[in-house]
Amino acid sequence: MEVVPVSVGVASRSWDEQHLDLAAASRQIDRAATGGFTSGVSGPAARFTGAWTRFATGLGVDCETRADGLRTAIREYVETDDLTFHEVLALGRYVTEVR
Amino acid sequence: MSTVTLPPEPRSVPVLVVDPEGIRGCGADLLAASAQIDDLGTFVAGGARIGDWSGLGSTSYHGTIGPIGGRADAMSLALRAVARRVDAHADEMVRLETRRGDLVDVRGDLTGALSSLRAEIAGSTAAEAGRLQLEADALGRRVTAFEEDLTSWSGAVTAEETAMNEAFGRVLTLDQVERRYGGVPDPADEALATKPPAGASPEQVNDWWDGLTREQQLAVIVAAPGSIGNRDGIPARDRHAANTVALDRDLADWGSLDPDLLTDDERTWLDNARAADEARREIASRTDPVTGEPIIAQIYIYDPAAFDGDGRIAISAGNLDTADNVAVVVPGLGTDATSAPYHADRAATLYEAARTLDHHQDNATMFWIGYDAPDNLPWDGGWDAAGVVGEDLAEAGGARLADTIDGLRAGRDGEPAHLTAIGHSYGSTTVGHGAHDEGLSVNDIVVVGSPGLGGDTDHADELGIDPEHVWAGANSNDPVADLGNHGVVHLETFGGLGLGDDPVEDDFGANRFQAESTTRGGLNPFPDHSKYFDHDTESLANITRIVNGDYDAVRRADHVHDPWIGGPEDPEADRQPTAPNTFGG
Repeated sequence: MEVVPVSVGVASRSWDEQHLDLAAASRQIDRAATGGFTSGVSGPAARFTGAWTRFATGLGVDCETRADGLRTAIREYVETDDLTFHEVLALGRYVTEVR
Repeated sequence: MSTVTLPPEPRSVPVLVVDPEGIRGCGADLLAASAQIDDLGTFVAGGARIGDWSGLGSTSYHGTIGPIGGRADAMSLALRAVARRVDAHADEMVRLETRRGDLVDVRGDLTGALSSLRAEIAGSTAAEAGRLQLEADALGRRVTAFEEDLTSWSGAVTAEETAMNEAFGRVLTLDQVERRYGGVPDPADEALATKPPAGASPEQVNDWWDGLTREQQLAVIVAAPGSIGNRDGIPARDRHAANTVALDRDLADWGSLDPDLLTDDERTWLDNARAADEARREIASRTDPVTGEPIIAQIYIYDPAAFDGDGRIAISAGNLDTADNVAVVVPGLGTDATSAPYHADRAATLYEAARTLDHHQDNATMFWIGYDAPDNLPWDGGWDAAGVVGEDLAEAGGARLADTIDGLRAGRDGEPAHLTAIGHSYGSTTVGHGAHDEGLSVNDIVVVGSPGLGGDTDHADELGIDPEHVWAGANSNDPVADLGNHGVVHLETFGGLGLGDDPVEDDFGANRFQAESTTRGGLNPFPDHSKYFDHDTESLANITRIVNGDYDAVRRADHVHDPWIGGPEDPEADRQPTAPNTFGG
């Protein structure tokens, strides 16, 4: 059976961090005020920030998907291999998302 | 009445409703977000790879993350380009607003001239027709020139709006982003590969930076703001740009999370980031008394996590790269990053005074929370204040201050600035150590409310500059300024207690300047320790004159004298304080 090292758990946490960072970036783009532009530009500017808010959100979701995928790999390993007691202990704290 | 053909009324100048600063803020948000996205690309190329994991799961995982990294890189470049274009658009809108103002003025002149001519024609005789027609023709040529300028201006507005809209439209879908930026190398990567190692001199760093193209510099500012934002030798303009990206990113990162999810460290860093934000806004909200424009704020140092969370922040009022006179204000006891707004007020006040007293010189005044100052009293949550009676923190701070000064020098092109280091309270001990131990590269040293410049400095001529350029001010009622050694008593010789000699005493050899306050005295003397940077005080006026190099105008004061018998005598205590005007009326 494929062995899942602790570094997989660490990586899942890092993907979670990336997800949070991109969620923040998405909010920042959404918050970028377009009211300062002239009326001829404010419309396209708002359309741009709207689209990019979605792009950043989507990228963040991809990061969360990677984190979830790694957690799934850990969980399957933990559930199927009861012989790797010590690895289970080490990995156990990575199977749930902290924030 | 004579018959004269008048030129047509000049067209009205269309209203231009635009807010360039609002546009600039939009660009800053987009730029900070692009830095976040860039971080994902960096993460995928490095930290996301799991080297000790093998098997099908690993293969599948590593196969899927590559495209995410590629997409992040392309998106980051695309968003960065638009953010830069937005910033350039703000600049162009400022120019167009100025041009519009000029056109409005010219039109006002023309309509006034037309009106006058019309009145003159109404009261004229036929004999005057020829002369009046010549005047009308001349006016007509001016109207024509105005109309051409107006058409040109309107065209420029339309062209700029179109260019901005095209920049938005070029990357409005992810397909467009991929087509335009997919696989394109980030100009920052090549630049960062040649970055001088830690320990390189500010001159070497400056040479590296000058050797990059502007495109590479702008890319590094966004892709790796932490690598240059606090790097001595990088010009202040670019440090400011990088630190702005870092600050905006931190505010978005930590500020967007539920406070309960933040770690204790992150909460502290967020507090520091918010203080830096408030400080830059404080400076930018003030007005240059000469130009009437907002004062330029430059974030020279931003490191919210430094010194176990005390933080490092230095922000200037004025342009550090170009100012004739640069002053660095070093605060003392009670200082950490969260005090940045308070010190920003002081820096802005000194800037206002410097510009008020000499309209013809450019100034930059920077508060420097660049060292681990004693910030907490032992009975108030910490032990740093124990450092006030010792010199360790000032010694370490002096070395950091010397690095900052060297960085300021190396980062500038052209004429070197007239540079003044100003130490207040324990900050004067830090300045003293910087000068004595490191040879601060400054033209003038000013200390106010000083408890001493360090135990190793017994005389102004030991500070590495001409003692004629060492200045000390002390309010006769300031209890902290009275802590320095007097006469032959040298506490530092007894177990390291004390911070050195009183710099306003005659034995020390510094120039003492008047620094009394009209509100001195009272039951609690400690407020007199904090009045040195207030407007309309002797202290601020004299500090300003030194900063501006106007030495003859400095109002000197008699020194403290400590006779063999009896305590120290301060002649300033008997003098009636004055309130020189340092700002406005």
